[in-house]
Amino acid sequence: MLRGLYTAYTGMLNEQYRMDIMSNNLANADTTGFKKEGSTSQAYSEVMAVKIKDVTENPNTPKRLGKMSLGVKIGETYTDFSQGSLRDTGNTYDIAIGGDGFFNIEFTSKSGETSTKYTRAGSFTLTKDGYLVTKDGDYVLGENGRIQLSTTAGSTVFNESGDIFQDGDLVASLKITEFEDTNYLTHYGETMWDAKEGAVSQDAENFKIRQGYLEMSNASVVKEMVNMITISRQYEANQKMLTTFDESLEKSMTLNRVSG
Amino acid sequence: MVRSLWTGATGMIAQQLNVDNISNNLANVNTTGYKAEVMEFKSLLYQTIQTRTTTANGANKPIGAEVGLGVRNSSITSIFTDGNLLETPGEANFALNGRGFFGIRGADGNTYYTRNGNFVFAVGSEGITLETTDGLPVLDSEGEPIVLEDDDIVTSKITVGKDGTLYYPDDRNIPQSLDITIGLWQFNNPAGLSKEGDSLYAVTDASGEEMNEAENENLTKTKLIQGYLEGSNVQIADEMVNLIVAQRAYEMNSKVITTSDEMLQQANQLKR
Repeated sequence: MLRGLYTAYTGMLNEQYRMDIMSNNLANADTTGFKKEGSTSQAYSEVMAVKIKDVTENPNTPKRLGKMSLGVKIGETYTDFSQGSLRDTGNTYDIAIGGDGFFNIEFTSKSGETSTKYTRAGSFTLTKDGYLVTKDGDYVLGENGRIQLSTTAGSTVFNESGDIFQDGDLVASLKITEFEDTNYLTHYGETMWDAKEGAVSQDAENFKIRQGYLEMSNASVVKEMVNMITISRQYEANQKMLTTFDESLEKSMTLNRVSG
Repeated sequence: MVRSLWTGATGMIAQQLNVDNISNNLANVNTTGYKAEVMEFKSLLYQTIQTRTTTANGANKPIGAEVGLGVRNSSITSIFTDGNLLETPGEANFALNGRGFFGIRGADGNTYYTRNGNFVFAVGSEGITLETTDGLPVLDSEGEPIVLEDDDIVTSKITVGKDGTLYYPDDRNIPQSLDITIGLWQFNNPAGLSKEGDSLYAVTDASGEEMNEAENENLTKTKLIQGYLEGSNVQIADEMVNLIVAQRAYEMNSKVITTSDEMLQQANQLKR
């Protein structure tokens, strides 16, 4: 029927996706270690419009009119890994990373598969046996695997490079990993990321560990509110396009009655 | 129907709990030995909405377009910083300066820990006993209730040293040790203690075993200060800011829902 009808439809669908992605930023405006997400929109590939069966010109030669694009889709979603602000908690096992890098978390799924996940949320705790774990009980990994600390030590200090000292003795070091290209990180959920095949990781260098702090979300609520306004208005505009096409279709269907 | 509706709803629920927590902090702003609690959040699962994605210059990206589905509350953590010291007239009022906790024998026979040093000397069945205002005995450094066997002791004359030792003046008014020390315990991770109400805490796997200050050489000794109580460490200004943030975040998430609703309404209006 009318091409524009479907173009307006892709516009509405795309705005809905953008709304889904944006709303997650607002929901996580207070989440420890959350990194804001955004999306880009892309036009469909251009197609050549061709005029056919025009009797005013040579009817056997289709005339090229030019290129046109018939809609819009999500180009990509991206994660903004910029530093979030630090909140002072004063707790021994609240650790924030200032700068680049991720904590390594040993995650065991329900089916028993173990994999390494990456996170910026450093609100940790100890198990009965002294293992450093996340609040969900997944092990935090150090340079030599799981980190086991003494539960009877008088003091536990994390220095800036992630070395852990108990009563003045070095007992373990946090493993902080950075990625050459963060595009290879896929969201696992629970504020953790998975490294996709092809990801190049190395020990991070430009970071400072801060004990007694948590990294807050880096989402900017003002920006998201503005985004929300533009999304809802663009959705509305596309909806108006669709109803306009609908009206034209209606007119063409009632032509018979008008002329008769 | 629409993901953003549910995402907005998870945000509202999470912030609701956040406000509940803040209001509890504000309600306890004058509670002796109360420790402020903070809420932590985690993101929910992610869904792939489009498998093939390209960057602005047309290169293929290794991962698809992912959309997050909201937020949940992951934990509520107490902040164990010292509260302000408040001068009080009671001789059995103690404030702690350091990481230690008093030990309390609960009615069920288990040991609980507290920072609330608002105690009284009460006459119990075995003699004068140091108790909390709820009548639970306070433990000495050996884990036994503090009972003074000599009934003639005038409790207002008892003084307590910085290490918790009880002294009583002799005939010449020189304080003599009663060989009883108020017990103090520390925890590797106090944030892991479970809250039992009435300002009491119980040991959990996360907190680690209790460590007796009198027996463990490695511990930095806590100072005990007689005639003072430790106030709540809730900072009203902080809590008010948290409340504003929580309320606005709640509002923004409700805006997500109304906007999604408007979008659905517009979709409905497509068919006349």
